[in-house]
Amino acid sequence: MNTPVIATNALTKRYGPHAALTDVTLDIPAGRIVGLVGPNGAGKSTLLALAAGLIRPTSGTVEVLGNRPAADAEQLARVGFVAQDTPVYAQLTVADHLKLGEKLNPRWDPGLAEERLRQTGLDPAKKAGRLSGGQRAQLALTLAAAKRPELLIFDEPVAALDPLARRSFLQSLMEFVADMDVSVVLSSHLIADVERVCDHLVILAESRVQVAGEIDDLTAAHHRIVGPRGSLDELPAGVQVIAAEHTPRQSTLVVHDTTGGRLDLPGAEPIGLEDMVLTYLHRAEGPAAPILQETAR
Amino acid sequence: MIWLTWRQMRAQTLWTAAVLAAAAAYILYLAWDIRDAYRTLVTECTTECDQAAHYLNDEFGMPLTLLGLLLLAGLAVFGAFWGAPLITRELEAGTHRLAWTQSITRTRWLTVKLAVAGGAGVVLAGSVTLLLTWAVSPLDDLADSRFHPIEFVTRNAAPFGYAVLAFTLGLAIGALARRTLAAMAVTLLAFLGLQLVMGGYVRPLYAEPVTETVTMADANTVGLIDGLALDDSGATVMGYTIPGAWVISDEMPVRMADGSAFTGDDADDCRAANVPPDECMSQKDAAFDVVYQPADRYWRFQWTEVAIALGLSAILTGAAYWRIRRGIN
Repeated sequence: MNTPVIATNALTKRYGPHAALTDVTLDIPAGRIVGLVGPNGAGKSTLLALAAGLIRPTSGTVEVLGNRPAADAEQLARVGFVAQDTPVYAQLTVADHLKLGEKLNPRWDPGLAEERLRQTGLDPAKKAGRLSGGQRAQLALTLAAAKRPELLIFDEPVAALDPLARRSFLQSLMEFVADMDVSVVLSSHLIADVERVCDHLVILAESRVQVAGEIDDLTAAHHRIVGPRGSLDELPAGVQVIAAEHTPRQSTLVVHDTTGGRLDLPGAEPIGLEDMVLTYLHRAEGPAAPILQETAR
Repeated sequence: MIWLTWRQMRAQTLWTAAVLAAAAAYILYLAWDIRDAYRTLVTECTTECDQAAHYLNDEFGMPLTLLGLLLLAGLAVFGAFWGAPLITRELEAGTHRLAWTQSITRTRWLTVKLAVAGGAGVVLAGSVTLLLTWAVSPLDDLADSRFHPIEFVTRNAAPFGYAVLAFTLGLAIGALARRTLAAMAVTLLAFLGLQLVMGGYVRPLYAEPVTETVTMADANTVGLIDGLALDDSGATVMGYTIPGAWVISDEMPVRMADGSAFTGDDADDCRAANVPPDECMSQKDAAFDVVYQPADRYWRFQWTEVAIALGLSAILTGAAYWRIRRGIN
């Protein structure tokens, strides 16, 4: 489990003149539940589609579990992917979908599929087109899970779900991950969800990675410092300013201490995950940008 | 994957089979009708036997032409309804993101879809055209006009080539356009346009046509003059039919067999004469040149047409593979 699940190097994807992903260099370690957060249009779906091999990069490289994404059937078998809006074949029944999974995946686990079907109460005879959003997401999760992948990728799995369905989907996701040896990458624009299920975080905004790391490390290394104006002009080496706000009398900084040690500055206090994420998103949008509604819950 | 492909196309296959079964029933009825009339007018003929072809043509010419056109339209529709949605429907529903992330490569995914849907469609379409070829064979033999534009593409081997072409045309246009409705419309137009181009510009190039001098004396034994125009400058044969052959020339100026001109004065003579003009002209030893593809080139032309259709299909299929391998999100 030492190979990173996703490793990118200067990964760039353009659609015509529009850059969906710019110069992304990332190493996502194995055995984690990784949250990929950022506003809509930040490039989350593009990054995940590149990892799933649905699209090819414009430049740079991406490796998943040490190989080129979707390189061959064996590589495809190692990665489970649940696309945004959890597409399923509307004309096929739930049972048809399991049969599809069984026929198209050599490592298919029928026991797991049936067990999950029973837990979620999906009717095998029901056409997938008649399922609710939550049920469809459960079906898509079942399909991806019973494939027995080493890495599961979810693109906004809960975005379209109501709060109740979202909770139960994340619940079953966590139970399932606890049961098997699998790494997970999921994207979301809801920081609360990420905080609940993830232990590793990648913040993506304006097509670039803002920061990435273990959530505990990140929250420990980010601080808000309030001090008299001018007292914070000189900071120790390795301490980066993410945001700065000045009034005539005092300055407020949000800093990232990359030294790994303890930040020993007067007036420094820990910053919560949500505030940290918002600071990065705000920085990416430019100083004049308002804080996004969806992330400002 | 074969199972999934079949499961996805089950409904449309049943629909198509139902429509084709109705068409087949009509063709069978027509076959029986044609053979009945043929027996009365040709086999057991007692009077006016040389007029049999005319009578049969009057009776069946219209439905036959219509059937031919319907068959062509049917092939275009096959391309639009079977070929075009094969990829676009997945793209529109987003299900390609489900299918392409199962443990099966996209190449294999497309290959199976192509083989199962395309194969089934071509077999269905082909069997109907073979049935039609058989059903109307007594009339085709009698009319002996196998190079006729509609007849040529709707009998024997050519429809198989065109069925494959229609399907792959739809497939490639679908892969590039990514939208079902647009792809269907473009496929219909492109296929029919291709038909016009093939018949009008490409097919005449398969072999260097033969140029033959026909004397007026032989004109109506070698073939049949459709019309003659006599005026002050001379004479022109307006259309000439050679049984089974494809006559390219439509207006053939008349000259003397020795190469000298058939003048306006000669034409005046024949107009004034008491005998039919072609008889007068054969007395004057007139002749004309006809350019045509001989009847025995029919199969060579059929296979050339099939080869071109399959060649185009291969290019189109390659384009579709290239497109989905690059990836679509």
